[in-house]
Amino acid sequence: MRISLNWLREFVDVEAKPKQLKADLTAMGLNVESLATASGDWLMEVEVTTNRPDCLSHYGVAREVAAFYRKPLKPLKFAVEESPPRASERISIEIADPALCARYCGRVVENVHVAPSPDWLAHRLDAMGQRPINNIADVTNYALMELGHPLHAFDLDRIREHRIIVRRARPGEPLRTLDGADRRLTANDLVIADAARPVALAGVMGGEDTEISLSTRAVLLESAWFDPASIRRAAKSQGLHTEASHRFERGADIEMAPVALDRAAALIAELAGGKILSGRVDLYPAPPKRDAILLRPAEISRLLGTKLAAEEVERILGALGFTVNRANGAGWRVEPPSFRLDVTREVDLIEEVARQFGYDRLPARVRPAPPRIEGDLDREKVLEVTDVLTGLGYREIIPSSMVDPADNALFTDRPPVPLANPLSQDASALRSSALVSMVRALEFNLDRGLSDLRFFELGKTYQAVASEHPQERRVLTLGLAGHRRPASVHDAGRELDFFDLKADIERLFEPFDLPGLRFDLGSRLAYEPGLSGQYLNGSEGLAVFGRLKSEIKRHYKLRSDAWLAEIDLERLLAVALRPRVFRPYPKFPAVQRDFSLVVPASLSYGQLAEAIEKLGVEEIRCVEPVERKTAAELPAGILPEGHVSLLLRVTFQSMARTLTGEEVEDAAGRICRALELQGARLRS
Amino acid sequence: MTLDEKIRKTLAELGVRDAEGVHALFDQVRAAMEIEGKDRSRWSSQRPDALRVRWLGRRNSILACIDENWLKAAPKELRPAVGSEFNSLKGRANAMLDLNLERFGIDTLPPGVTPMQAFRHDLTLPGNRRPPGSIHPVTRVMREIEDIFLQLGFHIEAGPEIETVYYNFDGLNIPETHPSRDDWDTLYVNEKTLLRTHTSPVQIRAMQKYNAPLYIIAPGKVYRHDNPDSSHATMFHQVEGLAVDRDITFADLKGTLDFFAKKFFGEKVRTSFHPSFFPFTEPSGEVAINCAICDGQGCRVCKESGWLEVMGCGMVHPEVLRHGGIDPGEFTGWAFGLGVERYAMMKYGVNDIQLFYQSDLRFLEQF
Repeated sequence: MRISLNWLREFVDVEAKPKQLKADLTAMGLNVESLATASGDWLMEVEVTTNRPDCLSHYGVAREVAAFYRKPLKPLKFAVEESPPRASERISIEIADPALCARYCGRVVENVHVAPSPDWLAHRLDAMGQRPINNIADVTNYALMELGHPLHAFDLDRIREHRIIVRRARPGEPLRTLDGADRRLTANDLVIADAARPVALAGVMGGEDTEISLSTRAVLLESAWFDPASIRRAAKSQGLHTEASHRFERGADIEMAPVALDRAAALIAELAGGKILSGRVDLYPAPPKRDAILLRPAEISRLLGTKLAAEEVERILGALGFTVNRANGAGWRVEPPSFRLDVTREVDLIEEVARQFGYDRLPARVRPAPPRIEGDLDREKVLEVTDVLTGLGYREIIPSSMVDPADNALFTDRPPVPLANPLSQDASALRSSALVSMVRALEFNLDRGLSDLRFFELGKTYQAVASEHPQERRVLTLGLAGHRRPASVHDAGRELDFFDLKADIERLFEPFDLPGLRFDLGSRLAYEPGLSGQYLNGSEGLAVFGRLKSEIKRHYKLRSDAWLAEIDLERLLAVALRPRVFRPYPKFPAVQRDFSLVVPASLSYGQLAEAIEKLGVEEIRCVEPVERKTAAELPAGILPEGHVSLLLRVTFQSMARTLTGEEVEDAAGRICRALELQGARLRS
Repeated sequence: MTLDEKIRKTLAELGVRDAEGVHALFDQVRAAMEIEGKDRSRWSSQRPDALRVRWLGRRNSILACIDENWLKAAPKELRPAVGSEFNSLKGRANAMLDLNLERFGIDTLPPGVTPMQAFRHDLTLPGNRRPPGSIHPVTRVMREIEDIFLQLGFHIEAGPEIETVYYNFDGLNIPETHPSRDDWDTLYVNEKTLLRTHTSPVQIRAMQKYNAPLYIIAPGKVYRHDNPDSSHATMFHQVEGLAVDRDITFADLKGTLDFFAKKFFGEKVRTSFHPSFFPFTEPSGEVAINCAICDGQGCRVCKESGWLEVMGCGMVHPEVLRHGGIDPGEFTGWAFGLGVERYAMMKYGVNDIQLFYQSDLRFLEQF
């Protein structure tokens, strides 16, 4: 709401400098967004929250200012000079739906001379950002800005049979509104109709046919009160938002209706030279009765943490227009004024008092929560994971969870969650795979010549479930491209490979108690066949990883290979952290034995290591592969077709004694037999 | 006899006949080495490698002479003793020389000799760096906020990002019929399901789950139907806070949030509270801190007010407590909500919110 300081001063004596007034208005809850001078005046942009339609006018703001500065607020009195005949002889008004229209006031002004408004009025409307139209329409707008009550002026002679009926529209009934739009109405829309047709969308916008024109001679002025919810529905369904609907949907002041009507009628008579017919038509079938609210001092201190002087409470509420009576016992019975539909509870009254008293004057104390024994386990685990990843050189990214479903489908078969009203196709569904966002992030950087990338995202995937609430799952996503370590004067750059990624994932699992962790080959939609694997905890998948499929790489025109991993965080975070328990290490010397093997290519290292482990030889401290060579890497003829050479190193060590040569030979022999059983052959 | 003379004689000539004698003799060598090694003035005027040449040079150095005259010429029974002493001396000599390079550094270099000539490697090359990792600036700020409230005994609670209309709006006192619902531009999944527009639904979920007393913060992603620009994002992060207990007043809200602001923005920060409106709190307020850019004088950043709004807050509305299954006659509560990106923008001087979501390495590596 734009407020002119000069206009405000017509209702309250403001001594404060504009800058001070701005600060004070903010302190009472009327946040001033900007302050500017304009030809001898100051204009303020006041942010009025949706609960305070009473402050959508100069008079409403003046009331707040008067209360704050303890100044009187000028009462509203508008003298109306009436002439016969009675208005009711010229117009008949009927409310057919009193639930949606609680009051309808009208006046008739005849013999008007429609012309441009005088400068003072045009300037004021200009300053308010309103385009002056003519001396009738401008007066209704002026009264709106001044008193906050929306008015409408009809050309009386265009109202058929001089009859007004406030009713619901008939389905499909047409109305061309002032903005020139032809609208089809529904039974939900409240209209102002004449004997034949709707002439206005009630509380939202007038109709073009009954608009004031240069030939208008008689004016019907309308000042009514419409049900907020129905105005909101109508304005929404017609896609209209007007100064009038803005106020009615927030709740206008039903008692202001006749006052604003008189104000406008008097001004029209003054500016357009008409005569106001006697009597105000005022249909007000059931004036609302609002109950007084009990306000207890104990409740004030229970909420605000301090006692406020009774006189202060009474002064503030009184100045804001509330009727305050001392209740029997402690406290008051407070009747809210008609313009404060937002105040219905004791707590609302307490806010009024606190607001005008000043939040900054209320006491403050710091009191921590009662101490808790339980820690935040999930957070601890997430911190652990993040520490590992940042230690490994990964940078966290937070990409949008909203993606193009077509992109999403490249990575997963699971259905994403489509949005009903997306902003763009690019962000029209919540992703069901986080790989989409990760590949996009890699693409973004590769396109900008940034090539050595290690990213992680702690995010979620979302999945539509038929006729149920969609599911959300926490997921950790890794994305890598470029070199294992950037090329430099010290190191030649070496491209990342599967085992770099595998090591990082193993490192990631290290803090967790995962005795059943095992590796398996994997094949998933987004990964290159033969270059993807998975980690499982027992039978539960924990991680899937590998190289991005070449087709997808081509689809995104990625300038290098991308390595990706998806770790199921829901499952990982359900795993306990590994207990840190000291285990004594052996004091006796270790002995190493190398096994030089020729192995069929179909036999994996994993199978051999497992075979050795199954022997259950206690003295085996560790088994490690030292060298693996394919036939292509060796001189011709050394390896038979379809075989690889593998050097295994086994370390033996006992907790109890120095191992004898025989013991080691014996164990080595068992290992050889086990390996041969798998199909490996010892190289002579 | 000087050391230089001794090393040119055999053990027999020096009258050394047993292991003890060998040990005593090497002790003398070690002592001499110690003294020479520390003698800055003696070496500073000579070639940088003069010390090394004198002790470890291939020919005629002290160790070369000892090798020749004492070790190789030693009688058989003394060989092991001399050998072991010699090896240990050699090790110490090398260690001393390395230490000397460090200790004397380049100021001991004679005029005209550059460090480059003195050292075997070009040590001015950059270090062989492992690229470091980092957490996202939004995470960094979020953790900082979490830590402050964890310190105050709050715990962390989470809620779904895909919410029901009930938890996001109706349960928070934001009925469809009230224009306040338009304060949140909403992305819908269907009529009953939406992307939460704020973290406030966690308030009701937590009250229903734990009842009172309750002290939580709820960080997380929220979504708005807002066209993206430098200050608006369709997805961003909020932290919600909620305290419900007996005897909680507006003073707790003010005190705790002032404490928080000082912890986060710096001890000298001042806070100001002014009224606002949120359907789920009553009274409602905004917290502002004095603008650090103009020191409260008024500038473009603070819109000439000297204050920057940093969060919304208020006493939990009795209806909301009721929706959470808590009796407002017995318990009161306060709550706040803040936008994490805004804090990160203020803290790190980021001027475009979109930068947070682009995953640009050049942005990420600055944090």
